[in-house]
Amino acid sequence: MARCLILACGNTLRSDDGIGPWLAEWAEERFASEPDVRVIARQQWTPDLAEDIAGAESVVFLDCSIGSAAGSVSMVEVRPCSVAQGFATHHVGATELLGLARDLYDSLPRTSLLLTIGAGSTELSETFSGAVLDAIPEACALLERTVVEMLSGQA
Amino acid sequence: MSQTITIDPVTRLEGHGKITIQLNGQGEVEDAHFHVTQVRGFEKFSEGRPFYEMPSLMARICGICPVSHLIASAKACEAIMSVRIPHTAAQLRRMLNLAQMVQSHALSFFYLASPDLLLGMESDPAARHIFGVVAAKPELGRAGIGLRRFGQHIIELLGNKRIHPGWVVPGGVTEPLAPAKRDEILKMIPEAYANIGLALGAYKQIAESFAAEANVFANFPSLFLGLINEDESVEFTDGTLRLIDSHGEIVEDGITAMRFTEVIGEAVEPYSYTKFAYYKPLGYPQGSYRVGPLARLNIAKSMGTPLADVELLAFKQLSSGPVWSSFHYHHARLVDMLYGIEKIEQILTDPLILDKHVRATAGVNRLEGAGQAEAPRGTLNHHYKVDENGLITWANLVIATGQNNNAMNKGVLQAAKHYVKDGKFSEGVLNRVEAVIRTFDPCLSCSTHAFGQMPLVLSLLSQEGEVVDQVIR
Repeated sequence: MARCLILACGNTLRSDDGIGPWLAEWAEERFASEPDVRVIARQQWTPDLAEDIAGAESVVFLDCSIGSAAGSVSMVEVRPCSVAQGFATHHVGATELLGLARDLYDSLPRTSLLLTIGAGSTELSETFSGAVLDAIPEACALLERTVVEMLSGQA
Repeated sequence: MSQTITIDPVTRLEGHGKITIQLNGQGEVEDAHFHVTQVRGFEKFSEGRPFYEMPSLMARICGICPVSHLIASAKACEAIMSVRIPHTAAQLRRMLNLAQMVQSHALSFFYLASPDLLLGMESDPAARHIFGVVAAKPELGRAGIGLRRFGQHIIELLGNKRIHPGWVVPGGVTEPLAPAKRDEILKMIPEAYANIGLALGAYKQIAESFAAEANVFANFPSLFLGLINEDESVEFTDGTLRLIDSHGEIVEDGITAMRFTEVIGEAVEPYSYTKFAYYKPLGYPQGSYRVGPLARLNIAKSMGTPLADVELLAFKQLSSGPVWSSFHYHHARLVDMLYGIEKIEQILTDPLILDKHVRATAGVNRLEGAGQAEAPRGTLNHHYKVDENGLITWANLVIATGQNNNAMNKGVLQAAKHYVKDGKFSEGVLNRVEAVIRTFDPCLSCSTHAFGQMPLVLSLLSQEGEVVDQVIR
């Protein structure tokens, strides 16, 4: 199990929705020599990921946000929700995954953060919108800083 | 005045469909249908493509059972190439198919069916889902998630992707099994045994409390079709098909992929985009049959693995002949999973499993080929024709859901007639009608090609066809 888990979500065929997997690929390369970092990118998050989360000291979720201004980079703390609340079987969010990790495996990461970039477009495309392209350096820097802090125990 | 009940969409299925129940003027159920509401187009748009692209193209039909499509498609291509694949490639494919079966069955049993079985058909629909199961029975939630991970991780290790792995190709597989991957899979086996043992134990404890449902959940005589080995043990990847009748007598045996269309026909109905397969000598709909876990266990004389053989004996105690009620698909699914885990362990101890010869090569040597395999939910047949350049000129796919289609429709009618009285129905009643479909674990994405969001509607129609009541989710 990794000390720091980076868990990305998104569809690389839907323009800015693919920013999570793109950042995951960047992180995989950036932390290639760091055995305590594990990166998982999925088109959608599913309940089986709860076990990976339960085994991690810290987790960074990566996703695009359709509720934020295009290109805006945000990092927020995520708390587990109750798994008894109804939600879809085929897709779960970060809070539900944390809830599953707690309820099924009695374990939660010390730190759980969600990094999002506001989507400018989620139309069929394999390229990002201008706003998201401009935001990539800021997102990468924030992700790098966060992971380094997590590994040093500061986050 | 007659009425129609519409359930749209039917929830906790792979894909999207709806149910309509037609009532007469006295409020009695007259007819019922299960509609698959999206059109499929894979056979048509594959025309003109090189045959060797077909496995990868066909796997895109489905996200839950792409491996079965890969294998049936690759086998059809190998018939066109006239090659026999190396032993190790056949074993690796078998393992991949079994891993898919385990993960797909885990999804069906734990995620889709267990909320009804463990929380109750009448339980609060807002909490009747996998997360409700997790809250009420965390040990079973862990077992379900664990078994799904087990299958998915093997697929990822072998095919380098959890969904739509491109590792299976015409002629075999693209790369041999690395020793480290074999060891990693072997390490997961003990936990998989523990999880399936837990599930079988829990199911047996509750099964009797569903005797009333088992009595009316598609409980009728029918033919059963499935792959079988020469020693009459169950088979998922090779072997030939056997068709038995409702008393267990063999109707057809040794059906190869190329012979499939000699004995099996496909009918269409105006209310569904999924076709209705039938045994040609009996005609449609008399020749309708069932496939999948229930059919496999009804047909097989053994599973071919020790623990699953014990469970097969217990399963066969349910009836003096073939088990008719589709409710018992759930039980059969668990036996399938146990078999899959045992067989994967056996395959990994094959002394040739790390052999480097895993692919045969050839060009076009025949202008027609067919391949078949068992998908988790039943038999799958791919049949192609090509021109001299190997370009596809015609393709036909007969998928499990189409082969169970008539039984699903009859089952919905049977349950609706039993539960809907005087034109009245509760949410629990409608859930039971949906649950009939869930026993079959149909894959509607395979039978059609869904696009966009799929709703589920249950409608109550009047004799004149007017919608009297409707539940929309």
